[in-house]
Amino acid sequence: MLATASLNGIVGHAALIIGLAASVFGALGLVIANVTGDGRLLRTISNYAWMALGGAVVAVAVMERALITRDFSLAYIQQVGSRDTPALFNVTALWSALEGSILLWLLILAIYTAVIMKRNRQRLDDPLVAWALVVMFTVTAFFFFLSFGPIDAFKNGPVPDFTRCCLGPNPLLQNHILVLFHPPILYLGYVGFTVPFAFAIAALITGRVGEGWLVATRRWALYAWGFLTVGILLGGWWSYEVLGWGGVWGWDPVENASFLPWLTGTAYLHSVLVQERRGMLRVWNISLLVATFSLTILGTFITRSGVLASVHAFSNGTIGPYLLGFFGVIVAVSLGLIAWRGDRLRSPGAIDSPISREGAFLANNVIFTVFAFIVLLGTVFPLIVEALQNRQIAVGPPFFDRLSMPIGITLLFLMAIAPVLPWRKASTELLRDRLFWPAWCGAGALAISVFVGADGLAPLLAFMLGGFAGGAATRQLLLALRRQGWRGLVGRANGGMVVHLGVIIVAVALAASNSYTRVAEFTLQQGKPVSYQGHTFELVKLQQFADARSTGVKALIRVDGGKSYAPAITTFTNFGTKIPTPSVRNGLLNDLYLTLEPSVRFDGTEAPVKIYVKPLIVWLWIGGMLMAAGTVLAGFPGRRRRVPTDPVSAPIELESAGV
Amino acid sequence: MKRAVKSWPSWVLLVMVVAGLLAVGAARDAAPRSPKERVEDISKRLACPICEGESVFESRNADSDAIRVEIARQVDLGTVSDDQIINFIAQRFGSKVLLVPRATGIDALVWALPAAALVCAVVGLGVAFHRWKLAADTIPDDADRALVADALAADASPDADEP
Repeated sequence: MLATASLNGIVGHAALIIGLAASVFGALGLVIANVTGDGRLLRTISNYAWMALGGAVVAVAVMERALITRDFSLAYIQQVGSRDTPALFNVTALWSALEGSILLWLLILAIYTAVIMKRNRQRLDDPLVAWALVVMFTVTAFFFFLSFGPIDAFKNGPVPDFTRCCLGPNPLLQNHILVLFHPPILYLGYVGFTVPFAFAIAALITGRVGEGWLVATRRWALYAWGFLTVGILLGGWWSYEVLGWGGVWGWDPVENASFLPWLTGTAYLHSVLVQERRGMLRVWNISLLVATFSLTILGTFITRSGVLASVHAFSNGTIGPYLLGFFGVIVAVSLGLIAWRGDRLRSPGAIDSPISREGAFLANNVIFTVFAFIVLLGTVFPLIVEALQNRQIAVGPPFFDRLSMPIGITLLFLMAIAPVLPWRKASTELLRDRLFWPAWCGAGALAISVFVGADGLAPLLAFMLGGFAGGAATRQLLLALRRQGWRGLVGRANGGMVVHLGVIIVAVALAASNSYTRVAEFTLQQGKPVSYQGHTFELVKLQQFADARSTGVKALIRVDGGKSYAPAITTFTNFGTKIPTPSVRNGLLNDLYLTLEPSVRFDGTEAPVKIYVKPLIVWLWIGGMLMAAGTVLAGFPGRRRRVPTDPVSAPIELESAGV
Repeated sequence: MKRAVKSWPSWVLLVMVVAGLLAVGAARDAAPRSPKERVEDISKRLACPICEGESVFESRNADSDAIRVEIARQVDLGTVSDDQIINFIAQRFGSKVLLVPRATGIDALVWALPAAALVCAVVGLGVAFHRWKLAADTIPDDADRALVADALAADASPDADEP
């Protein structure tokens, strides 16, 4: 036991130090080779990327091995491992606390660096590529350093005292398959923004601030965004299926930390089009990428350094200063480079009219940036007040809901108008023509909502604008399909419209489920059905269960005389806390969401339950899938413009454009 | 024919339809809240005093239960407003239970700064458009014309997009 134990620690440490050294040498070697023009040195650089990747892979593999073999000599395994965690959750325990989640980050970062290296190994003499890889190596080195030094992922633990240690991961992280997917996919997006950031910095250093670097990283930014989107939605799904409060998003600091780069990343994906087309907004686009990347670091600082308490913040007091310092360096270096390259970043040209594609992108950027500012402010505001006045306050979901509602409505409105706008300038006549059917789609959506009994101004506005925006996106897709055949679904503009449709579905689902959820508490008794909101609920029986790590009770509840659902309360013997697990009947119109209250008596005949009727929530996940599909479609090459003088936006066919 | 359908009168009709439907839908919402809905609304604005990240509405522990009972009692009195109830609870448990920050003192910044940011962003955008308009309105002189002529004469490269 002890022999393998020390072996895991030793190999893990060795892997980290090799990865750290490889990253440092890779960065330094690239700089030296580029300054001196040493071709022989340059050809060796790709080895360092492979070595760094090898270090990260071995570190993660060893940690997994330690988890699987229950090597309790390591402090981390004492923290998240246990003898009786089921295999699946034992594997996912890797990212259930700080040390392992930084290892996961490291692995993904090393993979990205290696892929960039492989794809560009013939172009290392190009300073743009070289400097981008220097940035990638530097960030990788920082994370190797973090996991080797301040965090010390492979630290030896004290002699395990099994009465107090080795309880396994948090019980909430060991009862749903989504813990296998949500964190890695989220990190693929979170970490993926390092790539466009690296190229932006390289563009500043080399002075090649034209559009070349944008084109090189366009798909990277797109896919990072797609992974982040899917990761965030999977998190919402997990919250819904596991936490039992019936919600998908709680404006928790950790959620906000993932949402912030999503907001600035979304702004970037739109404004980058203006630069590609018109060569403008160079400083702005670089700033958005810098903001996106630095917000991932700041978010990690806020949530992982213990300064803010949160449901899923892992605190560890030692890494705060390093993350904050790294954040400071990123911001200072980026701002310094932007100032230094100020003359080259100034771009010629002008945006002629606010009512144009460019104008809409700018409006989008203003809103997304303000949104990001609000989320950041709300997240750190309690810290600011505590620092200034030594007084604790909270900024909770109602604050964010109140401010994000008008923002969401405005974004839906923009999504309705923007797709039909041509570049340069639009006339009212053109708007009147192109927006006609989309606007009637909006009116139709509103009419249906009112007809089925929806009330309240805000949700009705959301449904109407959802219909309007959906009409506009569908119109663009139909026109593209007619012009280009199946290619009308691929390419950035068309894939983007599919993403828009997904966003609209998500927005409508959120508006409906936030506004019209009905909830009530009942004490169900066997044989006495209760009806609520047009459904009947009957307690069949209470059933106790027990396994090696937990005991619990579930209430079999027959819904509408058909299938039974079984919300449960589980007590994990190691932790002693009662964990409620909801049971959900999904439906296209309504989800029925049942939770058993902790006050249930295990040997009783009554079930205190909470019943939520949540409309349209399934469409959140459907919309999310559509967003993912749209991202993939947008990544395919679209129709190529043959000559640069081709009209920027195809003329509409007035006579036949009946959509 | 198509053009006629999309002309101004049909847009006016559209606006009237939408306004009518919104009025109908919004008016339905105006019914007074039931006591239960009031308790729900108030408890969603208060944080559970002893747990992380849950509101009194969601939380199941004894303190939150007690707060819900107190809210229900005051709602049943029918003489106090939501804000008064919330202030009462906040006096007992401290301002850390207020999920919606106050708009007084330094706490007001959390409301004022977003508004200021929006105003700055919109004004900034306005200024940018104004300057672009000025730039676009510049009357070309002979040197500019010569530049254009040169470019047109020499330009056969497809990189015209590159400024």
